[in-house]
Amino acid sequence: MRLLIESLGFGIASGAIIALGAVGFTVQFGISNVLNITYGALMTLAAYLGYALLGAGVNVWVAMAVAAAAIAIASALLNRGLIAPLVRRGTGFVGVVIVTVSAGIIIQYCIVAIAGADTISYGQQAGSTVSGAGFVFTTSQLVIIAITVAVMLALHLLLTRTQLGRAMRATSANPVVARSCGIRTDRVTDLAWLITGALCGAAGVALAISTVTFDFTIGPTFLIYMIAAAVLGGIGQPYGAMLGGLVVGVVSQVAAAYTSPAYQDAYAFAVLVLVLMLRPRGLFASGAAARRLTRA
Amino acid sequence: MVLLVYLGTDLLAAWGLNLEFGVAGVANFAYIVLVAARAYLYAAFTLGPPAASGSFQQYIIGARLPVALAIILAALICGALGCLIGVTGLKRLRADYQAMVMLVISILATTVVGADSGLFNGNLGLSLIPNPLASLGDASRGWWYVALVAAACLAGWLALRRFTGGPLGRALRAMREDEDAATAVGKNVVGLRLAVQAAGGAYAGLSGALLAGFIGGWSPSSWEYVETLALLTAIIVGGIGNDAGVAVGVVIVPVLILQGAQFLPQFQSSPELASDLGWIVLGLLTIAFVFARPQGLVAERRPRHAPAGQDAAQAPPGGARPASTVAALIALPRPAAAPKAAGAAASGRPAALSVEGLVKRFGGVRAVDGATFEAEPGEITGLIGPNGAGKSTALALISGFLRPDGGRVRVEGRDVTALPAHRRARLGIVRIFQLPREFGALTTIENLLVAAPRQRGESAAGVLAGRWLWRRQEEELVERATALLTLFGMAGKRDERAGRLSGGQKRLLEVMRALMAQPRLLLLDEPMAGLAPALAEQLEEACLALAGAGLSILLVEHELRAVERLCAKVVVMAQGTVISQGRMAELRTRKEVQDAYVVG
Repeated sequence: MRLLIESLGFGIASGAIIALGAVGFTVQFGISNVLNITYGALMTLAAYLGYALLGAGVNVWVAMAVAAAAIAIASALLNRGLIAPLVRRGTGFVGVVIVTVSAGIIIQYCIVAIAGADTISYGQQAGSTVSGAGFVFTTSQLVIIAITVAVMLALHLLLTRTQLGRAMRATSANPVVARSCGIRTDRVTDLAWLITGALCGAAGVALAISTVTFDFTIGPTFLIYMIAAAVLGGIGQPYGAMLGGLVVGVVSQVAAAYTSPAYQDAYAFAVLVLVLMLRPRGLFASGAAARRLTRA
Repeated sequence: MVLLVYLGTDLLAAWGLNLEFGVAGVANFAYIVLVAARAYLYAAFTLGPPAASGSFQQYIIGARLPVALAIILAALICGALGCLIGVTGLKRLRADYQAMVMLVISILATTVVGADSGLFNGNLGLSLIPNPLASLGDASRGWWYVALVAAACLAGWLALRRFTGGPLGRALRAMREDEDAATAVGKNVVGLRLAVQAAGGAYAGLSGALLAGFIGGWSPSSWEYVETLALLTAIIVGGIGNDAGVAVGVVIVPVLILQGAQFLPQFQSSPELASDLGWIVLGLLTIAFVFARPQGLVAERRPRHAPAGQDAAQAPPGGARPASTVAALIALPRPAAAPKAAGAAASGRPAALSVEGLVKRFGGVRAVDGATFEAEPGEITGLIGPNGAGKSTALALISGFLRPDGGRVRVEGRDVTALPAHRRARLGIVRIFQLPREFGALTTIENLLVAAPRQRGESAAGVLAGRWLWRRQEEELVERATALLTLFGMAGKRDERAGRLSGGQKRLLEVMRALMAQPRLLLLDEPMAGLAPALAEQLEEACLALAGAGLSILLVEHELRAVERLCAKVVVMAQGTVISQGRMAELRTRKEVQDAYVVG
């Protein structure tokens, strides 16, 4: 029982990070109809940026904010310079995926060439722990959870209460109609990639904080969790990805606690495969975006 | 010498991947996992039990089998593994979604095999893997190994020519261009894909075994997901779908950039930096080619079919066609061509199509709600109704592209409700898409040839036996296709890529392709929509001639004048059910029909 509650706590903590990242991934797909594999490499970049900033004596949460801003810009540039032109010239879906994988590999090996392939660590002390009802959280875990909740709330308000949010949802549902209604979809898309890039950067640093040591493969490996979460929630659905992140985090942590941590990635993958086999459009909702990916 | 072995093994792997990705359009990002699996299996079968070698590495099996037996066993398991990965394709996911799932499989496989030290010694990997040529002395072995790899490449090349050079390759490329359209002419898309993945897996496996035997060691760092990208880059640079181009690509990409860079004098001191830069260059190269030259250095071949002696210009475009010519061209079976005067129903011949209580729900919407109607053989039956009446859904249910939630579909008395779409197409239920869906990268005549049913060259026997088994049939098909092209006034476009035809020509191509599939029941979904009057008239004439030749046609159309002119019987649908049927002239006077059209 104690093991269950403890791993549940771990699951919630890691679920928060997964949700943070998965929401960005899923919104990018909804807006651009592109599965952006570069997302994982940008998370790695954020983790290493955070590492460099920590080395320069910056506070870890400030580092997170700076990395989020930097990745936001990188993400917007990626869309402007690479993805949007490809989509405009009608490159096939597979071609776009290959390009995003290539871009990810370029970023990844630039990191290796500069920072080396060795594992590194933020070297943060776990700090004090807070416990209650059998759960034990470190303060940094609690801060990450709080940040995630705050970001999710902000995103919710953005999507439902602002003109930009409505334009984003309209573009996601049907870009052609949105454009003919006078929405400047290219600018909306740029802004969406900026915002999701910030989520990606924040998630990257949060991930680096929560894992003891990491190397340049941290992003692509974590991509498994984010994809599982996004697919579980119905890809393209921000709320689905939030819930999906929590589910994937809890399932993988609890299952790993009862068997072996070596297979934690495999459990996230098992969730992905199960959803693909049983309900490829996701558990919670099947929006227009998910329908674009599956037939019959 | 080392580079030559790498070149050969990379070439084999790239050919296999090109088979899957370039020819059949399956972006298998988990491809390197197959290479790896074979390497591990080869190692595990040839190595002795772990304890015998001092237990410094742990692994499963350890059977110490002879090299040849190990290679065969590992090949079988790899083929199965290839099919297993192919199963992800069964759920009909969009190509990029599928690619992403495979990428995840690849990342995961490396992590799990690396973390589990009991399986294949974890991240440290296996070493002391026996060399297949161990009996030769160390000194002379190297060049013999190059010869071995070269022989494997030669065999691989010849097998590839067999596999993709004939009708099977054409069917695979058609599938790559448009899966639904390939299904509509009777291609078993799932089966084809599995076959390709098994064959691609075999190439991956051969490559992996040769590589592991040469290096003598194998570990997770040899097969990270980026290695698949290296092969993909080779294909994209060399030429997607072109095996000779891929060979060029392999020389440039994995060999020169990834392996060769470390031999440059500048990088002698830091080989790791060289390989990092190699990967960066590789990524840039891929992106550059996708942008600037997506077809690669050497583009896919465009086969030319020599004219069979006819003069293309002779055919009067859209002229009157004697019914017998048309019937001969589409190879209608005799009984269908029997004179209609005898009275089809009276002679006991079953209805061409009989639909009973058909139901299809989308969520809460009942798109088709208990529709029941029949179509008579050798006649054009119209299916009309306001938008949203369920006509197109009914058509999709009849052709098998959708599964009904209830009811039966019978064609010439045979219950086809449970058959998948490609099986129905082979029985002669051929649909024509509302928007033309040509196989763009195939030539016009290839578009027709691929549709012919029962091609020997597509079967396993045809691939194994080679050209002599299917050459005669192919010649006949070329002749029939050429005659069809001539009939529709498109002989001049024979060797043009279909993607470059005009909208109207694509529509005609769609019709010709359906006829090539030897239909018994043709399903037309608003064929007149958006056609210029002259072309529409040509199409109407063709329909009449075909029905005159004994073909049954179900026509969904909004252009009521055309329906009145063509159809003996018209079925009216509204809100998922049949509300009326009869001759068009009668229907116009009926209240329920008028209500449906006015109220919607």
